[in-house]
Amino acid sequence: MDRSKQNKYSSNEKNDNGDGGSVLNGHFDGMVKRAAGGPQAPGAESAPHRSTSAVMESWKEERTRSLEDNEMSLPSLAAAYTTILRGLGENPQRQGLLKTPWRAATAMQFFTKGYQEKIIDVLNDAIFDEDHDEMVIVKDIDMFSMCEHHLVPIFGRVHIGYLPNKRVLGLSKLARQVHLLYFQERLTKQIAVAITEALQPTGVGVVIEATHMCMVMRGVQKMNSKTVTSTMLGNFREDPKTRDEFLRLIKS
Amino acid sequence: MSTKVGDIVEEFHSNNGDRITDKMSTVHRHHETSRKESEDESRLPALEAAYTDILRHLGEDTDREGLLRTPLRAAKAIQFLTKGYHETIDDILNNAIFDEDHDEMVIVKDIDMFSLCEHHMVPFFGKVHIGYIPNKKVVGLSKLARIVEIFSRRLQVQERLTKQIATGISEALQPKGVAVVIEAAHMCMVMRGVQKMNSRTVTSAMLGVYLEDPKTREEFLYLSRRT
Repeated sequence: MDRSKQNKYSSNEKNDNGDGGSVLNGHFDGMVKRAAGGPQAPGAESAPHRSTSAVMESWKEERTRSLEDNEMSLPSLAAAYTTILRGLGENPQRQGLLKTPWRAATAMQFFTKGYQEKIIDVLNDAIFDEDHDEMVIVKDIDMFSMCEHHLVPIFGRVHIGYLPNKRVLGLSKLARQVHLLYFQERLTKQIAVAITEALQPTGVGVVIEATHMCMVMRGVQKMNSKTVTSTMLGNFREDPKTRDEFLRLIKS
Repeated sequence: MSTKVGDIVEEFHSNNGDRITDKMSTVHRHHETSRKESEDESRLPALEAAYTDILRHLGEDTDREGLLRTPLRAAKAIQFLTKGYHETIDDILNNAIFDEDHDEMVIVKDIDMFSLCEHHMVPFFGKVHIGYIPNKKVVGLSKLARIVEIFSRRLQVQERLTKQIATGISEALQPKGVAVVIEAAHMCMVMRGVQKMNSRTVTSAMLGVYLEDPKTREEFLYLSRRT
């Protein structure tokens, strides 16, 4: 499947499309201009067949950052962090802070490295045909993300359950975490959709419970509050008993 | 007794001067309170612009709905997380020191603490336990928690934070001894790098009798342990 290659957007192209022709996190805002270079099937993903209802499709094609892009954007990210340090009243020249802009920039790139990976790629090579149709659950998967509103960490646990329909997924693939700037609600949905598309199971359930540092460290400052979101697809949504079994099994 | 604490404090300051940065130490301390609240407003646009840059270079589209006001929110958030630069101990302690003829240990434990690692600008958080033995002067209990706030809401290193809290209390109260223990989780270790989920870093600072007398220290550590 060649789609993975043709959907690589370089950061240069990103800058050209600053007015909104970008595909990110399932949001598609406008027409996509394709770069002349690069192995791309002409017009295979051309604008006409994109619409907001094709959110699932466009989300599948996210890959907006490569390792080279990372290297190239490091200096500007570091410069931005130096500005922030100054703006906070700190002295960026003092020993403890000398290399902080670089470290902070690399850390931030790591936290958002989901932009480099596509969920479909991560899942695709570990799908096996297996005649198993009982529930499979992987729970207590630690998850780290960043809140897209305050750029402050979110961390918590993900519980995933699915009812296979002749195809099962390598278990560690379920546990691969995608680091992106996200709404927790959206992340929950995206994990569920990714599994559905990769496996076509009879049903998928995803529950995320997380602590949002933006609530704990600032704002309302509620120490112990957790946010829980869930997505149920297929059997998990329609059959209350299945959902019940899943919810009971993930409670520890 | 209190002169001994005074000596240690002096030593700390001079050592810190050599160890961290030579000429910079006074500059550094000047910068510690160099940010006045009124300046925050005026610095917001620069911070906002920096965050917009960051988002763009991470490959995000800053015009999409979820991110439209993120640079502003992130700028205000980080100003809040570093608001300790505004404050000095004198500001908050002045009217809460009382003369009291009490010379037994006072412990305030499990004070939640949130700070930012100065190396990665990523949060670290945990609990602070403070104990002190008054020398005719006691301090309002919540002031101890406020002292933690002042020093932790900055770009910090856990070791320095612990020592700053301890010396801050010594300077204000001249007690017979101060003990501070911090146990924290560092997101820079948990979310990246070695990615060790459950590891915690523990640092402590013992001044005065807590340093000299092992039994006093033991009593503090026992009383402030996790129950």
